[in-house]
Amino acid sequence: MTSGNPRTDKMSDDGWLQALRTDPSPLFKAQLRERLRAQEPASETRHDWRRRALVAAAAVIVVGGLLSVPGVRASVAQFVSLFRVINVVGVSVDSSHIDRLKAEQLEIGSLIGEHIQVVQDPGPPVNVASIADAAAAAGMTLATPQWLPDKTQVIETTVLGERVVRVTANSQRLQQVMDALGINDLAVPAGLDGQVVNVRVPPVVMIRYDHQNARRSRLFQARTPELTLPDNVDVRALGEIGLRILGLPPMEAKQFAGAIDWHTTLVVPVPPNASSFQQVDVGGHRGVLIQHQPRNQSPTTTIVWSTPERVYALVSIQNVAEVMAMATAVR
Amino acid sequence: MAAVQVLPRRLASWIAAEPDWDQVYAEQLPRVLNFFRYRVGQTADVEDLTARTFEKAWRARHRYRRDLGGFSTWLLTIARNVAVDHLRARQRYEPLDVAAVVPSPGHTPEQQAVHQSEAQRLAALLATLEPRQRELMAMKYGADMTNRAIAHATGLSESNVGTILHRAVETLRGRW
Repeated sequence: MTSGNPRTDKMSDDGWLQALRTDPSPLFKAQLRERLRAQEPASETRHDWRRRALVAAAAVIVVGGLLSVPGVRASVAQFVSLFRVINVVGVSVDSSHIDRLKAEQLEIGSLIGEHIQVVQDPGPPVNVASIADAAAAAGMTLATPQWLPDKTQVIETTVLGERVVRVTANSQRLQQVMDALGINDLAVPAGLDGQVVNVRVPPVVMIRYDHQNARRSRLFQARTPELTLPDNVDVRALGEIGLRILGLPPMEAKQFAGAIDWHTTLVVPVPPNASSFQQVDVGGHRGVLIQHQPRNQSPTTTIVWSTPERVYALVSIQNVAEVMAMATAVR
Repeated sequence: MAAVQVLPRRLASWIAAEPDWDQVYAEQLPRVLNFFRYRVGQTADVEDLTARTFEKAWRARHRYRRDLGGFSTWLLTIARNVAVDHLRARQRYEPLDVAAVVPSPGHTPEQQAVHQSEAQRLAALLATLEPRQRELMAMKYGADMTNRAIAHATGLSESNVGTILHRAVETLRGRW
């Protein structure tokens, strides 16, 4: 639309069809934004929070699943091993494995869902008025970041009660998965069926922070979850299968499974669409930092770490340095 | 047991985390506003219709925390319905004001005048299209949707969308 013959130029592309497009006026944009802010639904975060807490619990449950997969060779176990999360390590997930499982119609949710019995259901999370109230409800003192970005304030504190679930192993399902992924150099142990993993997830507290520009962070914390499983489980072999399912090459999975202390380590599978992940030191404790940008969403940083007594997760769309600073300052 | 497989998906949704709603708002607002500019013209109602659309969607936006692509589609569905209601009412209650075109920063007054003239001309021509053609033009050039997304939103086939749009553009081109 710039030469001596505007009409010809206009006809040569679709530019003339854009003539009606315009940016919203700054005034309209600001006024509408304020009106929308005034309509923030009070219950907006409840379902989301519950889902996150359940997923956090599921992560622990899956560790139980991971640990229980192969090694149960004895018939009835009278003794159990106790597992507590002390270390956190990240493992990249091979997205092609997930795709192949989908292609085989091995529905992930049903595979685990049909073998989980909820022994104790805490019900929905409860919003509380203050961090002190959350501490009282959870029965523990709460750690909070001793450093926060400017103009940060707590906008929500919620507690999810203790949850206890029981996961029952199913060797046929595991074999299906291994077959689908072509894992044929490892065997599903006999006697796996019916073995039980008990998982106890203590109360989880979520504190939501609002920073400037409506950016938010959420800090989750709970006393370390515990799981028990039959004493005779070959944890190392079990872990190796789990790592292979995640997509680790055979040799790497074998070495990793042999090196890790499965009784104290939470393996965090890093989704294939994570832009990066790294092991980090969070105030002297090992953690995993995952950077992730879902489509149409802001870059998100998640840090998962643990102390001997507690597991933490900090999820934020602040910049990485600030998220890390917040995590390091949690005490 | 395949429990371990479930974690990637669950973890992915866990760390999907907090959408930056300010950013979503900033991205979606022009799309919806321009949809209405193409759909109903340069009327004073465009901002009201945009606001109405956002207010309807905003209250339930948490449903789309996991799927902002779905949120975008849903927002345009609301906008289409708001437009239909508005056009029905407009048939009963004429007339309409012409909304001022927001000046584009950095443009000279002469450029502004040319732009406004072209915008008015295009608006007038769009008003001559059949309703279906105009709605698709609004989705394509106002809301900046792909043919595939339009097909998904309207239930038409992608090739049908392409055909309708092509004919509409040719009609406009002939009248420009």
